[in-house]
Amino acid sequence: MSIFEYNGSAVVAMVGKNCFAIASDRRLGVQLQTVATDFQRVFKIHGKLYIGLSGLASDAQTLYQRLVFKHKLYQLREERDMKPETFASLVSSMLYEKRFGPYFCQPIIAGLGQDDEPFICTMDCIGAKELAKDFVVSGTASESLYGACESMYKPNMEPEELFETISQALLSSVDRDCLSGWGGYVLIVTATEVQERVLKGRMD
Amino acid sequence: MGDSQYSFSLTTFSPSGKLVQIEHALTAVGSGQTSLGIKAANGVVIATEKKLPSILVDETSVQKIQSLTPNIGVVYSGMGPDFRVLVRKSRKQAQQYYRLYKETIPVTQLVRETAAVMQEFTQSGGVRPFGVSLLIAGYDDNGPQLYQVDPSGSYFSWKASAMGKNVSNAKTFLEKRYTEDMELDDAIHTAILTLKEGYEGQISANNIEIGVIRADREFKVLTPAEIKDFLEEVE
Amino acid sequence: MECVIGVVGRDFAVVAADTSAVQSILVHKTDEDKIMLLDSHKLMGASGEPGDRVQFTEFIQKNLHLYQFRNNMPLSTAATANFTRGELATALRKNPYSVNIILAGFDKDAGASMYYIDYIATLHKIDKGAFGYGSYFCLSLMDKLYHPDMTVEEAVDLVDKCIKEIRLRLVVAPQNFAIKIVDKDGARDYARREIGGDSPAAATTAATVATTA
Repeated sequence: MSIFEYNGSAVVAMVGKNCFAIASDRRLGVQLQTVATDFQRVFKIHGKLYIGLSGLASDAQTLYQRLVFKHKLYQLREERDMKPETFASLVSSMLYEKRFGPYFCQPIIAGLGQDDEPFICTMDCIGAKELAKDFVVSGTASESLYGACESMYKPNMEPEELFETISQALLSSVDRDCLSGWGGYVLIVTATEVQERVLKGRMD
Repeated sequence: MGDSQYSFSLTTFSPSGKLVQIEHALTAVGSGQTSLGIKAANGVVIATEKKLPSILVDETSVQKIQSLTPNIGVVYSGMGPDFRVLVRKSRKQAQQYYRLYKETIPVTQLVRETAAVMQEFTQSGGVRPFGVSLLIAGYDDNGPQLYQVDPSGSYFSWKASAMGKNVSNAKTFLEKRYTEDMELDDAIHTAILTLKEGYEGQISANNIEIGVIRADREFKVLTPAEIKDFLEEVE
Repeated sequence: MECVIGVVGRDFAVVAADTSAVQSILVHKTDEDKIMLLDSHKLMGASGEPGDRVQFTEFIQKNLHLYQFRNNMPLSTAATANFTRGELATALRKNPYSVNIILAGFDKDAGASMYYIDYIATLHKIDKGAFGYGSYFCLSLMDKLYHPDMTVEEAVDLVDKCIKEIRLRLVVAPQNFAIKIVDKDGARDYARREIGGDSPAAATTAATVATTA
């Protein structure tokens, strides 16, 4: 068993027309045992920048706390929010710093950059960035997520349709994965608003 | 003598509340060669006189204006060797910033970091303050910017500033000539005129240095040939 | 084998744990207290490597006391949970503590709350939870029977059902359990659930009886 699969997770982000969506499952497990069904894996960095951390729950929490710390210092120093690209580089170097004793997380970063241009990217646990124009997936359900996203995704979706697509992709994917599921958490971010929705799925 | 009795540790306050070493550093700056900078609407110019101890020195080997990043340049008044230490530290800082964020360091940040180094040398043990003031010129997302950093580590943003010998004359001259909507070429002319005003002797393309940054965000030190063109325009 | 259980009720939280000190196939004692009173309104039920458990829970307890001395007010339950997690997380990549924790507390403003903290430093706020072999039975039982706004009697009844199930189904079920409670009046012992003959004296008597007979 891989340590990445210890708690179970599914995280996905998609780009729409001048917007993006990021979603995750809600299960916290210890191998096959479910401990809680209201776990958070998607975190806010600032109003237009979010990070989803799949993998080991403990490292996800540690990493999130360190990122918030670093971003707050950045905000105070530079009197501005971080651009998604800049933030991705920060995450990448923080992960690579621990090259030989990594955080067991695979992050997904999604944000709106300058002119509210959507940006999504993922990286492995030692910070190798992978940028994408359409969608990125990670977690124990990543294989099924690839399939679902590949067949459901269309470019330039409006927020409503994007929400529907990412939700369906997430829910159908976690149903084929024993270690993730128990509902979902979806964020739709546009230049003007952030919609937060909690999904009920197969609660078993 | 009163003050100097309290100079036993370089970083100890005198009873009057002064750090005399900083004052001495400022004196070193004040007796250094004149440098100045002007922020125009579409760029920044920094300039300095380059007086050499002997005519036998090869003037092409002396570079008083340096670039810190492709879009940030710096000039100093005071002690040359101290300046090189600061340039080295600032360049390193800029590269570290780039390595972390994959984004070039904003002018304000580099100025702050440089100023922090200078401040540290007024409070640490076993060191002395830097005998230089810096004029840092840059162009980034926040437009053209000009900063002056002093040995104490304090820094200010200026529309136009001067330092070194003849500061007060140079500043008065700049105050008279400066306008808000000044174009960069105008600013270069003004810079040359200001230098000329306080220069003991005849200025030439070889005994002054000029650095400019325009909206293309490329900091350039003008070649003697380019300076010559400007000098001819001025006359 | 070890069982730690926790339930949050309307304005209180109950933590129960077995009281066996076991090593390999040997039961050393059956009155080991695994639920520490961290301060007046906090309970820390812990399971795991006995040395780590005692060392770590005491470390947390003393730090809470230190905080209280310095600041003239106690650390909130949430802050304690995060502090505990932080200590476990920093230890994790140096010399980890093998302790799993159910932390329950009562705060004036937040009321009763409970946190799940495992040895890898996963922190999660829960209203029912369990660690150890007992969790395999308790979690499902609590999913079925738990509801928010439980009274003390209902919650203890639920805990009793859990203990009963453990004793019924777990091969290596511990003999005795301690139940503690925390509410507005503070953290305290609530009850013990014992199956007789746990003292060495009783065992000796039993042995003597056996020989004479």
